[in-house]
Amino acid sequence: MNDKIIRRLAALFVVMAAVLATVAIVAIQNINRAVAASDWVNHTHAVITELSDLRSAFQASDAALRTLAMTGNEQDEAACRDALSRLSEHLEVAKALTRSEAGPAAQVARLEGLAAARTTLTRDVLAAHKAGQAGSVRSLLAADTGAGVVAEVRRLVEKLRLEQMALLAERDGVAYRQAQTTRWTVWTGVALNFVLLGFTIWLMVDDVAARRRAAAALQLANEQLDAKVRERTAELAAANESLTAENLERRWGAQALEHQLRYNEIIINSISDLVLVVTKARNISRLNPAVQHVTGWEPAQLVNRPLSELVRLQDGAARLAPGGTDPLGQALKEGRDLRDLPATISDGTHRQIAAHLTLYPLRDGNNVVGGVVILRVDAPAT
Amino acid sequence: MKPHILIVDDEAPIREILAQMLGQRGYRVTEASSAVEAQNVVQRDPPGLVISDLQLEDSDGLAMIAQLKSACPGLPVMLLTGVLFDDDVVRGSLSKTVDVYLAKTTPLAKIMDEIGRLCPL
Repeated sequence: MNDKIIRRLAALFVVMAAVLATVAIVAIQNINRAVAASDWVNHTHAVITELSDLRSAFQASDAALRTLAMTGNEQDEAACRDALSRLSEHLEVAKALTRSEAGPAAQVARLEGLAAARTTLTRDVLAAHKAGQAGSVRSLLAADTGAGVVAEVRRLVEKLRLEQMALLAERDGVAYRQAQTTRWTVWTGVALNFVLLGFTIWLMVDDVAARRRAAAALQLANEQLDAKVRERTAELAAANESLTAENLERRWGAQALEHQLRYNEIIINSISDLVLVVTKARNISRLNPAVQHVTGWEPAQLVNRPLSELVRLQDGAARLAPGGTDPLGQALKEGRDLRDLPATISDGTHRQIAAHLTLYPLRDGNNVVGGVVILRVDAPAT
Repeated sequence: MKPHILIVDDEAPIREILAQMLGQRGYRVTEASSAVEAQNVVQRDPPGLVISDLQLEDSDGLAMIAQLKSACPGLPVMLLTGVLFDDDVVRGSLSKTVDVYLAKTTPLAKIMDEIGRLCPL
């Protein structure tokens, strides 16, 4: 993977981790709030229950007190004391439950005052009962009834209960909203993470596809390169083969030419007669070794010299040409042979050697370009 | 197996060029510079074709060819020489002794074509 993709993926994973962490923090906070709200709800339920129990305890103590006033037996007295004791317990619990809330605590304090008055009334009634003062008992109870303490307790408890119910409803609403917030937070986080995960997968798939495309393109390029290399190699091999063949052909041509020249030279050099090649102007251009052997002249002394300095036709032969011209020049001009004309050769010591001259014109196509002179030395007279 | 060709020529450069060209074409080549050497090669390792010069140091090429053919009847022979013969001579005399006559001035490509015809790869 290239650096760009790695950086993108790393950034995406960082974002996903951040989203997860945010979701987790928000969820934990909401759970903590929900737990706290649940505690408060339980607390409120406990307060409401305790208020109901407190009201029941008031009513029970009031009933026990009036029953005792009517019967006066000890069993009802015990029941009365027991009712007062339960009332006291419920008051303590209600105080403990509402201690942190100023409003309810004040109302519970007021209930506590009413309960204290009730306890005092009960003690007074019990004392009057034990003293056998029935009239006093009736007057105490009548005064209590006229004060409407129980009705006051019922009213206070109901008010407090209604307040707690309202608080409970409010806290239920808050808890519901928190639960909704938690749901939305979690679902949004999950959805966002899924989107990011999908984007990450898309990036990876796209990168893999791009890599495959790049690999395929690279492979195609390599194959094309290989094909070009093979093609070029084949061309070079063919060119090399062609060059080698051409080179061999040239060497063969040169060798064949050299062989042919040498072979022709061998033939010429093997002739014991004097063989000379002359130009159309009758100057010597080539000669065979027999010339030097017979005359003693070096080739360098004869080449490019007039043939007449080496050989002369005898008088009879010289007259063969019409108008007294050189018969050799005339024969070359006319392109005809001269055969076995008597002649004399001048050697290096100016000695005259009798010979017979034969001339063959050298033809290149239709043109006479020179001539070959063959001098056959006459045998010495015996 | 590569076809075997025997080159008989007293000129080493001629043998060398022919051997190189034939080797490139895929032939197995043996060189001989004399008639005696050529006869030894034919007895030891009969070739599919003999390419011979006319003038050898120790013998006449045509005489040597006759000896080789008597030892190895049907042996194809190419006469490759610098001695130029007239067409009449080639048709009348040489064709009875050799399968092909070529002058050494013949282009190498044509020589190879004739060799390919007489001794296919």
